Amino acid sequence: MLPHGQIDELRAAVGAGGLITAESQLQTYECDGLTNFRVLPGAVVLPQTIEQVQAVVRICARHKIPFVSRGAGTGLSGGALPAAGGVVISLARMNRILDVDIANRYVIVEPGVINAHVTQRVAADGYFYAPDPSSQSVCTIGGNVAENSGGAHCLKYGFTVTHTLALEVVLPSGELAHFGSPTLDAPGYDLAGVFVGSEGTLGIATKVTLRIVRRPEMVQTLLAAFPTPSAAGQTVSDIIAAGMLPAALEIMDTLAIEAAEAAVHAHYPKCGGLLLVELDGACDEVEILMREVRAIAEKNGAAEIRVAQSEAERALIWKGRKAAFAAVGRISPNYIVQDGVIPRTALPRVLADIERMSGAVNLRVANVFHAGDGNLHPLVLYDRSIEGQEEIALDLSYRILNLCVDNGGSITGEHGVGKEKQQALGYMFAEPDLETMQLVRCAFDPESLSNPDKVFPRPRLCADKPGPYTPHPLETAGVAEIF
Amino acid sequence: MNATAAITREEAMVRLAAIAGPADTRIDGDAICVAPGSTEQIAEVLRFANECGLSVVPTGSGSKLGWGNPVAPELFLGLGRVNAVREHAWQDMTCTVEAGCAWAAMQSELARHGQMVALDPLWPERATVGGVLAANDSGALRLRYGGLRDLVIGMTMALADGTIAKSGGKVVKNVAGYDLHKLMTGSFGTLGVITEVNFRLHPVEQCARTFTVGAQYGAQLAGPLAELLHAQIAPSAVQLRTAAGQCALDVRLCTRPECLDGLTDQLRKIFNGMAVQEVDGRVWQAREQLFCEAGATVVKGSLLPAELCATADDLKETAVAKSVDVSIVAQATGLMTAALADRRGAERDSIVTMIEQLRERLRPSGGSVVILQTPDALRGKIDVWDCRSDALPLMREIKRRFDPNRTLSPGRFVGGI
Repeated sequence: MLPHGQIDELRAAVGAGGLITAESQLQTYECDGLTNFRVLPGAVVLPQTIEQVQAVVRICARHKIPFVSRGAGTGLSGGALPAAGGVVISLARMNRILDVDIANRYVIVEPGVINAHVTQRVAADGYFYAPDPSSQSVCTIGGNVAENSGGAHCLKYGFTVTHTLALEVVLPSGELAHFGSPTLDAPGYDLAGVFVGSEGTLGIATKVTLRIVRRPEMVQTLLAAFPTPSAAGQTVSDIIAAGMLPAALEIMDTLAIEAAEAAVHAHYPKCGGLLLVELDGACDEVEILMREVRAIAEKNGAAEIRVAQSEAERALIWKGRKAAFAAVGRISPNYIVQDGVIPRTALPRVLADIERMSGAVNLRVANVFHAGDGNLHPLVLYDRSIEGQEEIALDLSYRILNLCVDNGGSITGEHGVGKEKQQALGYMFAEPDLETMQLVRCAFDPESLSNPDKVFPRPRLCADKPGPYTPHPLETAGVAEIF
Repeated sequence: MNATAAITREEAMVRLAAIAGPADTRIDGDAICVAPGSTEQIAEVLRFANECGLSVVPTGSGSKLGWGNPVAPELFLGLGRVNAVREHAWQDMTCTVEAGCAWAAMQSELARHGQMVALDPLWPERATVGGVLAANDSGALRLRYGGLRDLVIGMTMALADGTIAKSGGKVVKNVAGYDLHKLMTGSFGTLGVITEVNFRLHPVEQCARTFTVGAQYGAQLAGPLAELLHAQIAPSAVQLRTAAGQCALDVRLCTRPECLDGLTDQLRKIFNGMAVQEVDGRVWQAREQLFCEAGATVVKGSLLPAELCATADDLKETAVAKSVDVSIVAQATGLMTAALADRRGAERDSIVTMIEQLRERLRPSGGSVVILQTPDALRGKIDVWDCRSDALPLMREIKRRFDPNRTLSPGRFVGGI
């Protein structure tokens, strides 16, 4: 709980209607989509204007109160987990689309705008907003910017950073700064490029200029059923090697198909590895490419190939895929979602290793991949009520991430490091890499107030000297907690 | 050596020769030129220079050394020996290249497997990977494939204090840690020295054709250009050229061979009534020609795409009134390169006035004008960067954290960074 004086200051900044301090209501904010980490914040504020965000951040800066910004709370790595006794700044009420410029293909939005609403706003003009995380019907642009969100279609269209032209940011000091521009290559460092994906550790975006993309003339979606995920993986490699860049290339294994079927009845064929290929573009080109994809799938032993015949069929295919994580809840009491990335060609090897590792600890792993860009989402299934199984499952999930790094990949492709993968980041990057990233952190946020103790593997203060860990003088004196 | 240097030039030569070898350490005018042979040697040179108070400008082939504010360093750190294509994982469509590798040399290596880094910078035969990144150069292909921010997936860099750091990795999709490579791209050698770069790759455009439409005014092309970008043609490059009072719009179509005729028909419909001619692909090198005019000031303008044609017309009109020759090559993304040459002598202020007017015109919509090349007579008369960003204090703080002694390219970048 925060001292009364600080609560009063926050109330003055956002009004009584924008402040939450009752414990029962604070509990709503104690976690994000990664529910096994929970921390009760000291207060939650819901500002409606940039000035209110600035006022709140200034109060935090003055009293050195840690703060965590939050959109819809759909993140899967604990990025919006509150700091104990700190302030959660919810941007949910800043949800206006401020400007739409079709001629120059951009929109300006507030951070609380829901991802799918951007596309809805420009659809009538023939445009869409490309990044499409599975949670796009509820997740917010502010959160997408923090996490550099991807989605199934980023294979062709890129990530949030590809589509972010400019940002207005409240820095951890409370100052306002503008990064980038609706025009390209504004003079100066590419701070927008660095800010996107910084997981709320460099400040709070209060306005985002997003690029929108022309909606393709035709979209076709094909399902191909293979005996194994590796055969589906080989098909992906062959499609890419043929010089094609599909809009999406997704693979689900038997367990994931089973779960998705149970949840949304997508009428997927039963098989060891289901491949979903989406092609978009001009009509005649899509038709030619679809024939080539079919031929490649047949060559790799596809038992069944189906092309969605209507928009409704296509939507159902995607519904099953996008619901896959939650659907796993139907076949297992508990599960852990991971987010490793590997070079595409390592897929068969890594899959075999995952199977061996999960077999060794007697746990099931369901696999859903954005196969085109090597982004794996292994879902480790377990039962919390069995003593010790959660620890085994967690350990397995982290070992899978290490496996990705060992194969030349990454510990996260789109979910972010957050609270969950701090130690894994230390496996992926060496100390000098992390120290250099810390230089950026300290330039933005010397007091480490903005989403403290996230992303980086061990607690650091900006006054820390590089090298082996030594306690900060304030820490040894008992004056400050390291956060 | 300047007054702040804690070492004589002779001593510095001995120390640098011990790091990089005597054959690659030499004196050129007022500066020492050293060409280390590895990332580790680069880091050692930097650590030494930083400790002794010697300023350093990293350089590849030197093709863009004149960009930014002039710097006269004590040390030129040449990347020429660090020039290998280290890895081409063609099945994963990624590569790892050392910073001193010439752009074209890299591309010809990648082309063996039909792949490329989908970017067309200036002077590819000479320009190095590190230099292209440090200057954030890009050409007309940016319309389809994006800029370096979208193509660079990882980097190794050496900081002023000799730290060797990596960011990103070898996979396209990766959100682990801060993207330091995005910070380094376009930082003009002020934060560190780029030593190695990982790129995502694209297939080489197999079946591409270029068409040109001529017009007297940009305004005649504005409507069709907007229609072209809204149509389902997805050209891989589009540029507007103006020279000697004439305008032309170049369009590069790239698709499956079976579909090319259909796209061409669509293109002709969009330019209804205007002559659409197929031309040689060399028109895409037009931007390079702008730097060849003796005594010309060359600028990079950044504007909203929909303002391209009108801005080009205005610039042309003003130029006529002021007896200035203007040539423009502008990409459909809104990035424009313009060469301005005063027929009545470089010392007149007409060019300065024109650039100031252009800046005022572009500023309200977030646009900018940066000077890339200018004759000595105009140097100092106009701000190279004109960066008015409220993020400048933050940029200075980043510089201070990365390079507290101001060892790297001091003063070259925005706001005296």
